[in-house]
Amino acid sequence: MNSPMIHCQQLTHVYSGKVALSNVSFELDAGEPVGLVGPNGAGKTTLLSVLSGFLRPTSGTVRLFGQPPGATQLIGKVSALPQVARLDPSFTIIEQLVFYARLQGFTTQQAALEASRVLEEVSLTEVTHEKPPALSHGMAKRVAIAQALIGKPALILLDEPTAGLDPVNVRTVRAIIAERSPATTFIISSHDLAELDRLCKHILLLENGILQPETIDLNEEQSAIRYMTLQMETGPAREVIAEFQALEGVLQVTNPQKNEFIVAYDPERQPHMDLQLMQCITRQHWHYRQLSHGKTLEEKLFFKD
Amino acid sequence: MHPGFLNHLLLISQCELKRTFATRSGLLSIVTFAVVWGVILLYPLRFSADLLVQEKGLMQGFSFLDVIGFGSIQQWPIPEFGLFWHFALLLFPLLSITLAADQTCSDRERGTLRFIVVRSSRDRVFFGRFAGVMVIQALLISATALSTLALVLYRDAALFSSALPDLLVVTTNLILAVLPFTAMMAALSATVKSARQATVWAILIWIFLAAIIGGFAYYLPTLAFLKLLVPGYQLSALAALSGWQTLQLAYVPLLQSLILLALGRWIMARQTL
Repeated sequence: MNSPMIHCQQLTHVYSGKVALSNVSFELDAGEPVGLVGPNGAGKTTLLSVLSGFLRPTSGTVRLFGQPPGATQLIGKVSALPQVARLDPSFTIIEQLVFYARLQGFTTQQAALEASRVLEEVSLTEVTHEKPPALSHGMAKRVAIAQALIGKPALILLDEPTAGLDPVNVRTVRAIIAERSPATTFIISSHDLAELDRLCKHILLLENGILQPETIDLNEEQSAIRYMTLQMETGPAREVIAEFQALEGVLQVTNPQKNEFIVAYDPERQPHMDLQLMQCITRQHWHYRQLSHGKTLEEKLFFKD
Repeated sequence: MHPGFLNHLLLISQCELKRTFATRSGLLSIVTFAVVWGVILLYPLRFSADLLVQEKGLMQGFSFLDVIGFGSIQQWPIPEFGLFWHFALLLFPLLSITLAADQTCSDRERGTLRFIVVRSSRDRVFFGRFAGVMVIQALLISATALSTLALVLYRDAALFSSALPDLLVVTTNLILAVLPFTAMMAALSATVKSARQATVWAILIWIFLAAIIGGFAYYLPTLAFLKLLVPGYQLSALAALSGWQTLQLAYVPLLQSLILLALGRWIMARQTL
């Protein structure tokens, strides 16, 4: 029987008398990226630090590929982007990446090629011979992402990978994750729910150190009730709700934010709700900005029915 | 296949050597050390050696050196090495406390250790850094011993064959002498947040440990064996010995180093990175 990629059992971490993680238990198999969300202080970084072997849990069991975090059997198999970590200011970027690749078992020549490759992947070839103090915050972040990409790790733990990056580099990181998945499994902690919505199929929600009982499956295809999220350019809220409510198959229409409407519907009664909504908008001469299937991740996580 | 323990030990210690001998800040420290050592070698050491050579016939029976506790210098056939021995027994343990203070602490505070540990192990980093710092100190000790040999040969080139055993004795003994100090700094560096804190703690622990154990041993002589726990405990006894006799006390630094490294490894394994 294959053991899961990550196995956490009754994981608790107490830091200075404060419970950062409380009896967290879950199992994850290799595959699509997994998002880790929760408010500030919920325990996301603590959980990733425990999984990376940077922090010893107070109690509980953790296994990655059947090994405890930090085991030498995991070298090259697991890599991490810590939230707060800077490179050594004494050495150039390339020297440090080559050193890391050498630790992962690359020969000197292979390590030099690998270091250049990962720098190219994050579009940072121009800083190869710079020392870390010469880099901007965003550049340092990209170098930290580059080190996590050395080799072919089966699992990469990313703590806030896009925080502090400009939109172009956020796209680059997203593209890297999309390209490497599912051969590499990513666990991504982030506050950017739109980003996670795009990348992840599963979400782990932590609140006050407690993992919420259900992992959120972003795939709604099997649900009896489906949702559409509509962002309008123009259109009075009361009229929009009234018009949509009258459509065949619509169960409920809500207006959680200005110009945003969530339509709950029965897919058996109306399988083409998107077309029906578009026709309604055209009839009323309204303008819309975006129509998407499902609820936003934010709605799913924090504004459950 | 995963790289082995020795492979990582080599890579991590090589990195430490590179930090000392191939970075601007490392080279600055080495140049400073070379200048200080050059001054010691050319002035106090050379002048004292010349004096000892000239006065050798006059010092039969009684010597001022006996009064100030440096009588053993006269037992060294080559006075330069006797003097080097005494200077180095003071200089290198002190140097070790500063040079070996930052084995892991600043990297841990900066988070750099996370990048390393995720592709190595805490044990490998701990012992790799310790090995690297020991090699650096061994190189410095060898360089100072060789410069003393050069001084001897400058005075009398015929002394080469008799100076070689002395060179080996002092180099071996000094490396053994700095071993527990380096191990103590490895353990402290795994605990505190900065190299400065590690140095301050080392001095405090050293003084208090010596004072407390000394106090116990004074009132309860059966506890005198606890003095073995104080790094450098053997140095005063060592200064009174000469030649290969000095290796009689080699077990003391080796034992201390083993205990301190075991303690440091235990701390490192539990430390939050």
